[in-house]
Amino acid sequence: MNTGLWLCIRLPQLAREAVANHQGSAGERTAPDRWASAGEHSVGGELGEKGLLLQREALERLAAWAYQWSSLISYAPCAPLLWLELGASSTLFEGHEALLARIQAELVQLGYSHVCAFAPSPAAAALLTHASAQRHVFSKAQLRERLDPLALQLLDLPAPTLAALQASGLRRIGQLLELPAAAIARRFGPEMQLYLQRLCAEANDPRPAWRPPETYHARCEFGSEVRTSTALLFPLQRLLLEFQGYLRARDCSVQRFTLEFEHYRQPVSRVTIGLSAAGRDAAQFLTLVRERLHSLLLPAPVNALRLQALEFTSPAIVQTDLFGSDAQPLQQLQRLLDRLRARLGESSIQALQLQADYRPERSWRLIAPEASTASSPKQHVLSTPTPPRPCWLLLEPVRIEAPAQLLRGPERIESGWWDGNDVRRDYYLARSGQGSQLWVFHDRCGGEWFLQGLWA
Amino acid sequence: MKTHAMTLDELARLCHDGEWRRSLHQAAPSGFAELDATLPGGGWPMGAIAELMPETTGIGELSLLVPALSELAHAGRYIAWIAPPYLPYAPALIQWKLPLKYLLIVQTRSLQESLWAAEQALRCPALGAVLSWPCEIADKNVRRLQLAAEAGGSLGILYRPAEAAREHSPAALRLRLRATANGLVVDIHKCRGGRTGVRLQLPLIA
Repeated sequence: MNTGLWLCIRLPQLAREAVANHQGSAGERTAPDRWASAGEHSVGGELGEKGLLLQREALERLAAWAYQWSSLISYAPCAPLLWLELGASSTLFEGHEALLARIQAELVQLGYSHVCAFAPSPAAAALLTHASAQRHVFSKAQLRERLDPLALQLLDLPAPTLAALQASGLRRIGQLLELPAAAIARRFGPEMQLYLQRLCAEANDPRPAWRPPETYHARCEFGSEVRTSTALLFPLQRLLLEFQGYLRARDCSVQRFTLEFEHYRQPVSRVTIGLSAAGRDAAQFLTLVRERLHSLLLPAPVNALRLQALEFTSPAIVQTDLFGSDAQPLQQLQRLLDRLRARLGESSIQALQLQADYRPERSWRLIAPEASTASSPKQHVLSTPTPPRPCWLLLEPVRIEAPAQLLRGPERIESGWWDGNDVRRDYYLARSGQGSQLWVFHDRCGGEWFLQGLWA
Repeated sequence: MKTHAMTLDELARLCHDGEWRRSLHQAAPSGFAELDATLPGGGWPMGAIAELMPETTGIGELSLLVPALSELAHAGRYIAWIAPPYLPYAPALIQWKLPLKYLLIVQTRSLQESLWAAEQALRCPALGAVLSWPCEIADKNVRRLQLAAEAGGSLGILYRPAEAAREHSPAALRLRLRATANGLVVDIHKCRGGRTGVRLQLPLIA
């Protein structure tokens, strides 16, 4: 016996809305909308082969998204229907109404038209999505009462069966249910009897339970070519929200995921989004993707979009950040680093580290900021303390005329004979005509003067 | 600095010249007694933009700032250097007691990217100071950075050429810097909530 509670979501425009840019800006719609007609419900309610495929892809993504609220998810093979079994989980989410409000709010964000209904059986929940009102039935006792006055045509039965029932003068579901079960089985076959029993939650209605895949692959196709990165933002937002649902459902996070942009007759463009600490917040992902798109040059218009994530981390690992202690400001810092990297490039942010070398150009190196705390600076300190050093260093020493005014020096630096970059220099503090304090050296090998730093 | 208005007139004046908002953030002591005595709150204005306009490079324009940066870093706040004109030299920073792990050097490819990065960095409360060197910057962009600094509570330093002193700027503090044989001369060109036109001589020599 089914004693659970089912939420059925019917997405009447799914095939059309799944075409990712159907809400695209006016400029994007000038190209002929290939699926505008394919996705519409035609008179017979039949979708083309392409429409069915799009609908199935979208249902697969939505199943992953819905898994965050229920571990029993199912969707119809050929209809835009998604079921969530909520008997057990609704208590977790402060009651059915509160949960429904959350689910509907996300559906609105995703941009899908939808009708939701509750019933003790999946068949009844699907049927009630067609009712004009009172779509929430929570007990078996109420169910029969609610079904009775509804029109017979709402039953999920073959058209000839419905015609035959009508020919025998039946109009409402209640009238059919009042007939003796044995008579129905005799006249319409045992399947019909079973259907009615399942509808009323009198018989088990096992559904193939959807299982979340180990790796995440989602694809959405555009109705027309997308030429600007701003027009990609809406479909991206949807893709990321669905992804967030999947991550919540599996209770995991990602540190890296890939976006692929498909072009007509051109190799795909690929962008990898990396986070310094694993996360699962769609809004954070979108911020990073937006920064990344800012600097991305797409070689051709985009036909479809794919999102892939292959590796996941458990939430326990999320808590420990790369910088060690003091989580709160460091999370803020990590978010800043992620944003800067997304827009300016992976290696755009660096930290400094000392190197034990007397040659000024080799006494430092740039490292990733995350690596900065890992190493202890003590091991890089020279055994003998050095005289004062200037704040600014020129990356390459610049040849200059012999300075007019030397204020301090010389400090002799001779080093590097072992690695072939040996230097023999006399360093001075010099003053320029404008009053700048310069760090210059006299190259004892070539006899020339060089500027290497500034006492700023 | 007063934190409570005594009369409505005083309240109106405080709100008008930004004192009210400013008082949300503490000042960061500069480490130079004469300068701290002149600046409102006793130091660099946190949550605001300060412009430093040196006559030329290499006269102590960084050394003026380093004691405050060092304090901020020791308090666990990061210092971002947005597209610095030269490399901050690690051995010197260590001599100045600036912990290297709190320094972030951000490379950019254009002025626009630098301004964007500065704004993002200023909004992040984990940062104590954000230094940038825009070759030119419009008023409205200084205002943007000013708002970002207010939001993040950090000190925004803009190094600008000496000629910029002739232009108006919404920055909270504007200092002109000039080298003399006896040290660095600091002219307080503008100081929100403080005295302007003051000239200080700081013993800053390499």
